[in-house]
Amino acid sequence: MSANVSSNLAAMLKIRRFEEQCIAMARAGKLPGHYHVYIGQEATAVAACAALKPEDFLFSTWRNHGHLLARGASPGKMLAEILGRSGGYAGGKSGTLHLSANDLGMPTTSALVGGSLPLATGAALACKRQGKGIAVAFFGDAGLEEGAFYESMIIAQVWQVPILFVCENNSIPPKDRKRGQYTSSTLPAQRLGDVTQSLQIPSEAVDGTDLTAMEECFKRLTAEVRNGGGPRFVEVCCSRWPGNIMTWPELPGGDWQIDWAFGGKPDVDAMVAWLSSDPLSLYLKKQLAAGALDRTQIEAIDAAVKKEMTGAAQFALDSAFPEASEAYRHVFAAQESAL
Amino acid sequence: MTDLSLKMLHRFYEQLWQIRFFEGHVQRLAASGEVPGFPHLSTGQEAVAVGVCANLTEGDMLFSGHRAHGHVLAKGSDPYATFCEVIGRQDGLCQGRGGSMHLVDVSTGMLGATGVVAGNLSLAAGAAWAAQVANKEKIAVVFFGDGATGSGVFHETLNLAGLWQLPLLFVCENNGMAEFTGREEHSDVAKVSAFAAPYGISAQTIDGNDVLVVNAAARSAIQGIRAGSGPYLLECMTYRMAGHYVGDAQHYRSKEEMATMKEKDPIERLRLHLLAKGDSAEELEAIMQRVKAEMTAVVDRARKAAHPDPATVMDYVYSADFPGREENAKWN
Amino acid sequence: MKITFAEGLAQAIYEAMAADSRVVLIGSSFMGLNMTARKLMEPAVRDYSDRMLVTPISELALAGAGIGAAMCGQRPVVDLGTGSFIFQAFAQVVNEAANIHYMSGGQSKAPVTFYCLAGMRGMGAAQHSHRTQAMLGQVPGLQILTPGGADDAYQLMKWSLLKSQNPTVFICHSLLFTETSELDPNEPMLPVGRARIRRQGSDVSIIASSITVPRAMAAAELLEKQGIFAEVVDLRTVVPLDRETILKSVAKTGRAVIADECHKSFGVAAEIAATLAEDGLSFLKAPVRRVVVPDVPIPFSQSLEEELTVSTEKIVAAALQVLGR
Repeated sequence: MSANVSSNLAAMLKIRRFEEQCIAMARAGKLPGHYHVYIGQEATAVAACAALKPEDFLFSTWRNHGHLLARGASPGKMLAEILGRSGGYAGGKSGTLHLSANDLGMPTTSALVGGSLPLATGAALACKRQGKGIAVAFFGDAGLEEGAFYESMIIAQVWQVPILFVCENNSIPPKDRKRGQYTSSTLPAQRLGDVTQSLQIPSEAVDGTDLTAMEECFKRLTAEVRNGGGPRFVEVCCSRWPGNIMTWPELPGGDWQIDWAFGGKPDVDAMVAWLSSDPLSLYLKKQLAAGALDRTQIEAIDAAVKKEMTGAAQFALDSAFPEASEAYRHVFAAQESAL
Repeated sequence: MTDLSLKMLHRFYEQLWQIRFFEGHVQRLAASGEVPGFPHLSTGQEAVAVGVCANLTEGDMLFSGHRAHGHVLAKGSDPYATFCEVIGRQDGLCQGRGGSMHLVDVSTGMLGATGVVAGNLSLAAGAAWAAQVANKEKIAVVFFGDGATGSGVFHETLNLAGLWQLPLLFVCENNGMAEFTGREEHSDVAKVSAFAAPYGISAQTIDGNDVLVVNAAARSAIQGIRAGSGPYLLECMTYRMAGHYVGDAQHYRSKEEMATMKEKDPIERLRLHLLAKGDSAEELEAIMQRVKAEMTAVVDRARKAAHPDPATVMDYVYSADFPGREENAKWN
Repeated sequence: MKITFAEGLAQAIYEAMAADSRVVLIGSSFMGLNMTARKLMEPAVRDYSDRMLVTPISELALAGAGIGAAMCGQRPVVDLGTGSFIFQAFAQVVNEAANIHYMSGGQSKAPVTFYCLAGMRGMGAAQHSHRTQAMLGQVPGLQILTPGGADDAYQLMKWSLLKSQNPTVFICHSLLFTETSELDPNEPMLPVGRARIRRQGSDVSIIASSITVPRAMAAAELLEKQGIFAEVVDLRTVVPLDRETILKSVAKTGRAVIADECHKSFGVAAEIAATLAEDGLSFLKAPVRRVVVPDVPIPFSQSLEEELTVSTEKIVAAALQVLGR
């Protein structure tokens, strides 16, 4: 088993197990508020973050857990933040929607549709001025419905700043949209890249269920951006995981099972169908077919990941809620830390 | 293009001069301070207003921006009331509340000019949608400059219009200048019409300085919209003979550029066309002189009109049925 | 050294750009349509044009890019042009910039300056005349600078560009460009968050900021001719608000007139009046008076706009009223 295969597997499993943990905690009443999980899109974050350098900046959305984990964030500190505890990245002030880690180049996370795009463009401007690093903006297909998206693309192109716009399109297919449902993106454009191409930004699409294809794509695009090629746009065509529903995420068929890659089947039809477009399952099957790894190795990696998640959960639950006086801190940055 | 009656062509000629003279007075009186604020002139772009509006009916709805004099007049507003508004008089279209940048004349379907770049686009989409749900033959038209395409709301509106197949005509007056910045400096997209295709919206770029070209293109687009084929974007390449606002010294323009202006002048182009069709120079001169005299009389009258009474300043903040009306008057 | 407000601004921008290469101008028509004042920007354009970005009309993204660049090591100032255009950028200014430091638990900060050429400028009508300090004052996390004198235009702008650690809205009133004041560049700056007593007095406190500062000063002169000594408190910044200096002044004079160009209801003057009601009631010999703009959109016509303007005459009348004359 190559180091790359094992690290890819571990990285994707880490995200999946983390999200399952979140859902379990929400079920147990420990996770307050609304939250979004990244199940089914793990390969995107893993492939993209593999192409990045420590000096690069990342911007995400309300569906950010995967991006942070792939960037190397501590699952314990993330979970503590999600539970609103003092040990979290923001001491309990951001929660899941705004999860960020400044020391990992993720200075803020906007939970507004399209909210991070202008910020990411500004980060790219800073990179250009400072002569190092690039910015990567992750956003969903709904981001394209916001004017902020166009304005950001326009100025990124006019200023030729180093930014990669990564649109993770997990929209509901038009035929499945219903009135009264939570809205999914509604663009007449068939390929999202057509819209950005009209702004003269080189655009392409990549299969979001294929980790290997994305590794190549992100490696190439980040290199182009890094070498002064200006902005790039890529639409990642993701499959929509059946648990990603309007209200609170659910786990149809329960936690993901390694056995599902070995002929076993979940007891929910939608899940059975979806597994054929699950990037994690697909990657496993591909590596198994190539003889790159065996079941024992997979189980060992999974066991290690699960152990880490148990530790993270313990850390988060042991972390105290913040003191009431914390509510008044950080409204303004301290002036004495200046310059 | 040649199927227009001579009567119609003369009407265009009159309307072009009407706008030109109207704005000439605005410019003259702005220089002396009598027209307050920073009025924006459409001098050189009149053919777009005249060519498009000739295809509209009274029920059609119009939206414009900060450069609206031509659109308002072409849609049929009374020049006197329009000029009164520009100089802030009680007889103005908005009783002096709006001024040059915020001209509204509901009676002609001119539902609003806005002083905010791109501020009118989504409003026009709403008006078009209202016409659609009422199942009327009405359409909405929105005039905007190429500078507005830098604004996100332009794209949001294209998306909505394409998605809902709205009876909406986007008319982009591409004069190549966003305020003081040339288009090549602030956008990599040469043609605004290129933005329409991804949204499934038909679009065309035309010579906006030829009133006959504009009229024909707008007619065909509007017929399509009325027939239910969805929104259309008409990009009219034109030329702003004036600065961004009255008083703009236009240091960003070369002498050579200023010299070629005359060739682009839509009035001169229609005049040459009419001469070729057999009109005499005297006839055309007479039309021009008549319009000139009429407009001078209008402006003279407007300058004598009363200023609004300061005691009425609280009027129209809310409509008459606002429950807090009396409280508001008492406490302010 | 006597300088004008416009000179102070241009000088501050130039010096800040010279002092720190991280100062970037996103948009650069700080002086609006005032051609005389625009000339003052020429040295900066000449020497630092590489740090002045040409911008499309995309206020939302420009504001956001300013925030993003600030988070990642630059010190941008975003020129939003006419102050009312900040509404096109509200999503980024109000819902991103203001929250970043807090929401990150202090990890991140965004020292960006949003520059607004604001106010009732004469026939700007309802879409170009806003003063947004009161509504933005409802957004914790934003600093709001409202200089009313040339000295503060220079010092606050320089501070904002070089020292501030927080997102800042710099509200420059369009009619202040020609106001002059004495400036000694070597003298230490009055700390940000401290109001400036522009004029000492014993009979009535006139609390002002931005455009109402020169009008309050003119009112104080007129009042002096009637033997009334007004103290003029120039707030300089609405956030932070120097409640202590306001209370001290009113403790001395016993009477307060608040002159502010925001609308009457829920305005800056309302906040100051509330402070006096809560913590200064025992000082007051007469009810507080607000000289503010009625709750009416700004009309185009001159006669109507003048009706609403916070004028020197209205400030004098209010002072006489609180003095019972």
